[in-house]
Amino acid sequence: MHTNSFFGQPSSGTAAPTGTTSPDDRATQFRPDAGGNQMQSGEKLLVEAYAAFWLIAFFFILLSWRRQKRIDERIDHLESAIAKARRAGDRAEGEEGDR
Amino acid sequence: MTTKSSRGGFQLLLAVTALACVATLQVIAFVAPVEASMGIVQKIFYFHVPAAYAMYLGATACFVGSAGYLWKGTRAWDALAKSGAEVAVAMGLMVLISGPLWAAKAWGVMWTWDPRLTTSMLSVLIYVAYVVLRAFTGGGDAERKFAAALGVLGAANLPIIHYSVQKWGGNHPTVITGKGGGITGDMRIALISGFLTFTLLAIVLLWQRVRIDLAASRLEEAEQEALELGIGED
Repeated sequence: MHTNSFFGQPSSGTAAPTGTTSPDDRATQFRPDAGGNQMQSGEKLLVEAYAAFWLIAFFFILLSWRRQKRIDERIDHLESAIAKARRAGDRAEGEEGDR
Repeated sequence: MTTKSSRGGFQLLLAVTALACVATLQVIAFVAPVEASMGIVQKIFYFHVPAAYAMYLGATACFVGSAGYLWKGTRAWDALAKSGAEVAVAMGLMVLISGPLWAAKAWGVMWTWDPRLTTSMLSVLIYVAYVVLRAFTGGGDAERKFAAALGVLGAANLPIIHYSVQKWGGNHPTVITGKGGGITGDMRIALISGFLTFTLLAIVLLWQRVRIDLAASRLEEAEQEALELGIGED
């Protein structure tokens, strides 16, 4: 037999509205709210949503900033190496011309 | 090339955006009233809707950049398209995380296959596909053209998201686009602040990603030049 109460008493289908419960029933039986949304705290959900906003934004900015830094460092390194190689090449060409 | 003036302009915009974020949070927390039927959780609305709007901005940038790349074939248009898709994904994730948290309280369930929710998720998935495509395929012209076609076709879903509530109904609120009472007074101020902040945030993120993409193409050129000069990797 289907039961829905804490003490295993038979269920007649849907639970009676909370307003009709007598003080004795409340003392001997716990029933969940039919809507279910009372399980959620509005404050907690709000904080979770705003935390998600900031985490995504900061993560995006941090990732971009690190990538930009890495690329800039590599460009600086390569450009100085290229300039050095060009100077060495010009010097070699000059020496060749002098001879 | 990143000039000092453009770097200065970017940093100024970043500072203004950070200030706008703080100011908007103040307005939402202390000026906007608590909604009568849903309670404090309704304050998610002031960032949820602007984030959805910023997702549209990113997607529009992706569309414009993709169309521009197909037309002109220059790296700058491609950088705009790629950056737009990345911004659309970031903003779309914000929408898809905050929406269910609000719905958990307002509807009693985190997700339903409501037309607007479904079409929004579809759009985010399209831009996730675009970003994954760009990350895992080569940087050749054929790959860029394929991605540009996806960027153009992906935008077709945007008007469907907007009109889905009017066409097919559903649970999603229509306080802005609907014909009901809408929002008034301090709620409107908080929402306008949210829109301004997210417009700035979208521009900052877009600008930053475009700069990175252009720097990456400059790096490719420098690497090519270094190879031609016989400079080794050290």
